[in-house]
Amino acid sequence: MNIFFSLSTLASMVRLTAPLAFATMGACYGHKAKIFNIGMESYVLISAFFSTLGSYMFKNPWMGLLFGIISGILTSAVFGTFVLHFKGDPFVVGIAMNLGASSLTSLLLLMIFKTRGSFSSPDIVGFSRVNIPFLNNIPIVNEIFNNHYSIVYLAFVAVIFSQILMYKTPFGLRLRGVGINEKASESVGVSVIKYKWYSLILTGIFTGMAGACLPLCGLSMFTENMSAGKGFLAVSAARIGVGDPLKALIACIIFSYVDALSVSLNSINIPSQIVLMAPYVVTVVVMCFTSSDHPKKFSFGRKKKERVSA
Amino acid sequence: MKSRNRKNFPDIALNAARYVFAFIMVALVGALLIKSQGNDPLEALRAIADGAFGSRRAIGTTIRWMTPTLITSISAVIAFRSGIWNVGIEGQMYMGAFMSAVVGYELCLPRGLHIVVCILVAGLSGMLFALIPALLKSYLNVNELISTLMLNYAATFLTEYMTFKYMGFDSSVLADAVATNEMQETARLAKLIPKTSATTAIIIALALAIGVYLFYRYTVKGYEFKMVGENLRFSKYGGVNSRRTFMTIFLVSGFIAGICGGTEMCGNFGKFRTAFATNLGWDGVMVTSIAQNNPLVCVLVSYIWGALKAGSLHLERVTSNNRLIVNIVQALFVLMVSVDFKSLYATFQNHRQYKKLRRQGGSETE
Repeated sequence: MNIFFSLSTLASMVRLTAPLAFATMGACYGHKAKIFNIGMESYVLISAFFSTLGSYMFKNPWMGLLFGIISGILTSAVFGTFVLHFKGDPFVVGIAMNLGASSLTSLLLLMIFKTRGSFSSPDIVGFSRVNIPFLNNIPIVNEIFNNHYSIVYLAFVAVIFSQILMYKTPFGLRLRGVGINEKASESVGVSVIKYKWYSLILTGIFTGMAGACLPLCGLSMFTENMSAGKGFLAVSAARIGVGDPLKALIACIIFSYVDALSVSLNSINIPSQIVLMAPYVVTVVVMCFTSSDHPKKFSFGRKKKERVSA
Repeated sequence: MKSRNRKNFPDIALNAARYVFAFIMVALVGALLIKSQGNDPLEALRAIADGAFGSRRAIGTTIRWMTPTLITSISAVIAFRSGIWNVGIEGQMYMGAFMSAVVGYELCLPRGLHIVVCILVAGLSGMLFALIPALLKSYLNVNELISTLMLNYAATFLTEYMTFKYMGFDSSVLADAVATNEMQETARLAKLIPKTSATTAIIIALALAIGVYLFYRYTVKGYEFKMVGENLRFSKYGGVNSRRTFMTIFLVSGFIAGICGGTEMCGNFGKFRTAFATNLGWDGVMVTSIAQNNPLVCVLVSYIWGALKAGSLHLERVTSNNRLIVNIVQALFVLMVSVDFKSLYATFQNHRQYKKLRRQGGSETE
């Protein structure tokens, strides 16, 4: 039983939350602006590739992050062009992008790094660990929260930033308004398509950061299909949190706890396939408890009127 | 007045324009991609055509790859037509494939019966796996898109685990060796064209496509299925039990996806290998969205898909091109076909009208 709450499990939970939290923030903007974005998986994968490339070229993780963000925005722009301007079905566009992205990154891997499967090199510089001095004296908190990669802390900053942006600024109000009722927001002079674009760009930025987390946190390598459903998990976390950053973060923490637990469980003779399966199954189970219109309601916080079932 | 104007709307022309536009764009981008690798696009195209239609063997390979795509696309048609986003086809197919491989090895039955049993078992296990998201959808209102996506990953790992358990492997077995025993000869489908990889599974696939087409066109149930997707309120008013209909559609879709796993096992693979089918289920989804949920068009599109697959395998053998290019081109084609010219045209008309009004209004005030 000790394994469930061991300090190393909790510490790796915090570390694994980072990419998921970034991606979920991206998904939250999409959820609030009522864009059903199943193509987020491709954003994460493509920006993971380009942040590897950026870090490899400049030997600097922050350049990798920048590359990741730019490629995230560009991928999001492709989605936006097809969905908002060419009126494509977001589901079809998303799936085509996901499949295209997995082939595209494999092809680019072959063209640029001349390898198949995975690429690792000492030139891919990862983020460095940060030591927060005043935590050193607090026993348990120090073990769990101190000495993580710098981007992990950035993830939590991003969550707070998103929460403030969404609920405390006029921009956030308009963004939510567009999601709740397009006609009404148009009637008060809010350009719907502009705000949908803003939300897509924010999605691109945050999924770009999520992508940068994957190869640059300790591993220093890029593998084919390394996103492994992170984008889908983010979409479901945002749905569970009804697009609210803090609530969605709770869902993220649950997912990454299971993920972290599976690393620890691997050491005590539980078959690895069952362990690998756990995060996906848990997602479905959590969704069972939090889906809207469920008679025995169990959702984080009180019911809100703006809940939109898509 | 307005509705009459709408009727004159050049529907067919726009639909044709959609495909022509998509084709031109894809050809351009594909040529650029091949050029960027330092190869000749025409040569690559010739290699693809050669690999797809060049010889008896090539035609066999085309038909071989057309089969699973067609079956999965029919499975997707049934779900998507009624507005159910069952993207768990891949997972349902894995379950079906595993169970049919086990039944194919364990049972000793006469030839014809054995194949039927194998494929039925595959279908049933696909259906059982589809039952999970179907129940969650209808009783707990869990979004089926996300639950099926997640269950896809779960199915891949679950079948791998079951293979380990069934064969008694421990974790030291090499990844290539993780497979079930070879199925009995009596459970294998016959070859359609001798000395090629085309099997009689294509007959099952075509029968399914035509059957589903006739089902939608001539039966009351088919009409119900269609109406639930097109107009849920109307069908509820007409007395359709929407929950039960949704369940049925989900299960039928899962059943057909499972059948695809069965035909793959009885046809070409002969034993269940973990992660045997990369993206076969997704191919079906893509084909369906290109064919716009029409089962007969699915036959045509999946033939093209099979030809592209066979061609790309040949392409990789004879030139220095990578077959990933063909995958990218396929995804791009889906992306381009999703462009909705009808509403683009309508937006354009609106914009023009708006401008006209503005102009008129402007002249009045002056």
